[in-house]
Amino acid sequence: MTPDDQHAPASGTSVRRKEDVRLLTGRGRFVSDLALPRMRHVAFVRSPVAHGRITGVDVAEALEVDGVSAVFTGEHPAIAPVALRAQSALPGYVETDQPPLARGKVRFAGEAVAAVVAADRYLAEDGAEAVVVDYDPLPPTVCAWVEPEHPVHDEAPDNVLLSRTFRAGDADAALAEAHVVVDRELTTNRHGGNPIECRAGVARYEDRRLTFWSGTQVPYIVRTQLAELLDLPEGNIRVIAPDVGGGFGVKAVLYPEDVALCLMAMAMPGVPLKWVEDRVEHLLAATHARDHRYVLRAGFAADGELLAVSADAWCNAGAYSVYPWTAGIEPLMAGGLLTGPYKLAHYTCTVRGVATNTSPSGPYRGVARPSTVFAMEALMDSGARALGMDPIALRRRNLILPADVPYRMPSRLVDDSGAYEACLDKAVATFDLDRWRAEQTRRRVEGGRPLGIGVGVYNELTGLGRAASAGPRMAFRTGHDACTVRINPDGAVTVFSGVTSQGQGLETTMAQVVADALGVDYDDVEVRYGDTDSSLWGFGAFSSRQAVISGGAAHLAGEHVRGQVLALAAALKEAPVEELDLRGGQIHMAGQEKPIISLAEVARVAYLQSDRLPEGFEPGLEGTRFYDPIRGAFAAGAQIAALEIDPATGEIGILDWVCVEDAGRIVHPVIVDGQIAGSIAQGIGGAMYEHLVYDDAGNLSTGTLLDYLMPTAGEIPELRIGHVSTPAANPTGVRGVGEGGTLAPNAVVAGAVADALGVEVDDLPVTPARVWELVQR
Amino acid sequence: MKCPPFSYHRATDVADAVAALQAADDEGKILAGGQSLVPVLALRLARPSVLVDVNRVPGLDSLERRDGVLQAGALVRHLALAGQALHPLAAEAARWIGHTAIRSRGTLGGSLAHADPSAELPAVLRACDGAVHVAGPAGSRRVGADDLFVGALQSAVGENEMITGVELPVPDAWGFAEFARRHGDFAVVAVAAARFGDRVRVAVGGVAGVPHLVDAGDLDHVGDEISDDHVALLAAAAADDVDPASDLHGCAGYRRALTEQMTLRALADLAGRPQPVREPA
Repeated sequence: MTPDDQHAPASGTSVRRKEDVRLLTGRGRFVSDLALPRMRHVAFVRSPVAHGRITGVDVAEALEVDGVSAVFTGEHPAIAPVALRAQSALPGYVETDQPPLARGKVRFAGEAVAAVVAADRYLAEDGAEAVVVDYDPLPPTVCAWVEPEHPVHDEAPDNVLLSRTFRAGDADAALAEAHVVVDRELTTNRHGGNPIECRAGVARYEDRRLTFWSGTQVPYIVRTQLAELLDLPEGNIRVIAPDVGGGFGVKAVLYPEDVALCLMAMAMPGVPLKWVEDRVEHLLAATHARDHRYVLRAGFAADGELLAVSADAWCNAGAYSVYPWTAGIEPLMAGGLLTGPYKLAHYTCTVRGVATNTSPSGPYRGVARPSTVFAMEALMDSGARALGMDPIALRRRNLILPADVPYRMPSRLVDDSGAYEACLDKAVATFDLDRWRAEQTRRRVEGGRPLGIGVGVYNELTGLGRAASAGPRMAFRTGHDACTVRINPDGAVTVFSGVTSQGQGLETTMAQVVADALGVDYDDVEVRYGDTDSSLWGFGAFSSRQAVISGGAAHLAGEHVRGQVLALAAALKEAPVEELDLRGGQIHMAGQEKPIISLAEVARVAYLQSDRLPEGFEPGLEGTRFYDPIRGAFAAGAQIAALEIDPATGEIGILDWVCVEDAGRIVHPVIVDGQIAGSIAQGIGGAMYEHLVYDDAGNLSTGTLLDYLMPTAGEIPELRIGHVSTPAANPTGVRGVGEGGTLAPNAVVAGAVADALGVEVDDLPVTPARVWELVQR
Repeated sequence: MKCPPFSYHRATDVADAVAALQAADDEGKILAGGQSLVPVLALRLARPSVLVDVNRVPGLDSLERRDGVLQAGALVRHLALAGQALHPLAAEAARWIGHTAIRSRGTLGGSLAHADPSAELPAVLRACDGAVHVAGPAGSRRVGADDLFVGALQSAVGENEMITGVELPVPDAWGFAEFARRHGDFAVVAVAAARFGDRVRVAVGGVAGVPHLVDAGDLDHVGDEISDDHVALLAAAAADDVDPASDLHGCAGYRRALTEQMTLRALADLAGRPQPVREPA
């Protein structure tokens, strides 16, 4: 066995996840578990009215309830001066205020109107029931594509907070020249992330310092925004995101409840305040997503070339421009990535973020693209029918190929992938398309449940650098993260990473990257994260960015400290540094099997034996590096599935589901497959089950998990996951993998049902009742 | 989602439970498996002043068959009902209730008292023309299935009464079919079919405020063998006989179509034939 075999890289293998010992044995520490001396509990009073003026709030009776110590309203002096105001430099964007607790009027059913502080949550809810709020109702608007009777915000009389037109080439002229033109009108269903742990926070203000434990995906953004909103020096704020039970984007938002909790804590110094959201609150008032409408036209040449796409999109932004991402988060992503993995010269797309009297829309795994992939693949399927072409051949005809990259998309984003055809080829082969087509034909001839095949090809824009922003022009650019690598006096390694983890194993992934960059064993690396007082900087978990960006920073910091170690070792052993290598925690001279010195001994010198430090060396072994990929890493993916339909009930049975993605160089195969499987499951949930439904009065009809149906293990089929690997141009070669799986299921399910029944599926989710109606037509 | 304040009484026997309900002045509620009551409390949709816990009352979990009738205690858990062989229709229906955790706690008496029109066991009680025994301040009374269910989540069991036992006649042949959105969900439509001698009774859950007993006229008169044509006529009669409302899970027409389809499947099950699958029109 050679030394290289003994110290094979940690990356590329499914090492035991560092976080699993505590997470799987019930010893995870979540915000909900936190108990502090003198801590009190908060319950919010929420509006039962979708739209109305607040004509009075009477808290007297609530203050009489046993155990209640305080009640705050929007007019309370501690709350009233503050408003969340999501900012964007985009022309025409209408800025609006979101108060921590409603002031003057309520804009959606579920908006927090008052907060009750009590000895425990039961008593806080007793107090909340006793708060009397009088409303003068206004006509509500729940749909983003109807004229409002009364605007949600006076600043936007037509409810449009943002509108932008993407334009490339001349779509009208190209459509006029097209051999066939197809039209589709589609709607996608409002749903949300629903992590197993709902939102949670504990705020403590003492000695002019605020500590905020929060189940957030973005602790550093939260710290910066809180400093501004609360007018505190940023150094006096510490945000701690301990173990967090899922996020999916819902927790990448700074919520009015968070800000209210901190403001109340500041008004009650020394008394920690805890709020743990329950599922009813979560469904009602955590961010929703994907409530969109698309009106689409595409033109194809006779040989199938996609010539032009013209699109109009309405994204329901809900009652407030989500902080700090703005109401642009979904529409801008929709317009920027609608054309997906297809080459296109002529494009026009007008997108709008429209305010309504519903819970605000925010980031949710895949942001807008589950809808736009559905839209684009619907155009492909319609185009194939109109041309009499095989739908997969038509897709192939138009994919961005390796020879085309870097490919400038019509929205001017630069695609560096080109692996779409490789993913599609492998997916088709794994799926055995010919066999399923034969079975489909057999059933059509001999009888049997109708069988349909659905396809979705997509690009996941991951690890966005400073030049690749697909989003609103906010006051900050999220291109970089930092990582600090510290060798301890005993030679073991502590990493201070800017990542946050909601269960997806970043602790493990960062340890693998640092172990390899530095040259130590995986088991000798510990990772600290989720505390703004310990690590320098990280924008957090969103846009499938952390493996790319924080992973890049971890690699660079590890390499940097490796250089320090080797330089010191070389000086100590009077050896040429360029001939030294660090692996498995030992420093080797090229060509020699026996190490010349251990990392532990080098560390001992660096910290404890300064008398042995050579001339010119400072004590300590530590380094911090930032990384910004400047652009981003596009990750290609393709999914294909066979579904059968029971025409009598409309029930859909999933017979086979194949996904092939390009995650670049894979750090941890099991984590990557877990991300893909989980995101496909969420995608299937959105395609077939999950639907947040408002009635015309603006009441949420699906207010509990009895009516808001999430898929369970019983509904998700065995998934067959494959990979192609084209390493990205970043330090570790990875492409992000957190969101891709969610992007195709809408297209796959709708496409397969359409294929099975010979109809077009225009509206999601594809429920048994809807399928039954399609069968009746 | 925290319960409003209530006091708690652990009943030692049925008389003690009834006395506690009476003392609560119409503000008491029986706590058995808690699978419906506790969520309702957490949502503060009910605020009883006293919960009378009957879980420790002895003798309410018996299961025995006498003279062709299953005599079951009110505290029989769904898991036990699913696992018994004395009444196969009840066993099959119980397997469709929720998930293991729910079946481990939920009780037969609780499900019938709760009277959810989409629940499985109320449909079985009607299909089998069963009855419940109810204890109250004036003693015990027997309430037949046709009188028990008054409306959605409303039963004929009074505020001061509790169900103590259930009579479930064992059919000569039976069938059960259910359509739910996900495994373990409440039925969109569930059908229980039972043949006693030459009469078949079909009860449909999910189409009205109470489990609906199909009036099929003379079609309910069957022999030992039921023809496919007869099954189809009965299923069509069932679909004609229901008047469902539209909701989130589908329009009235969809529920009517499901009624026909689930009746077809339950009757095919009853007739001992494989379930038919209707081909597209």
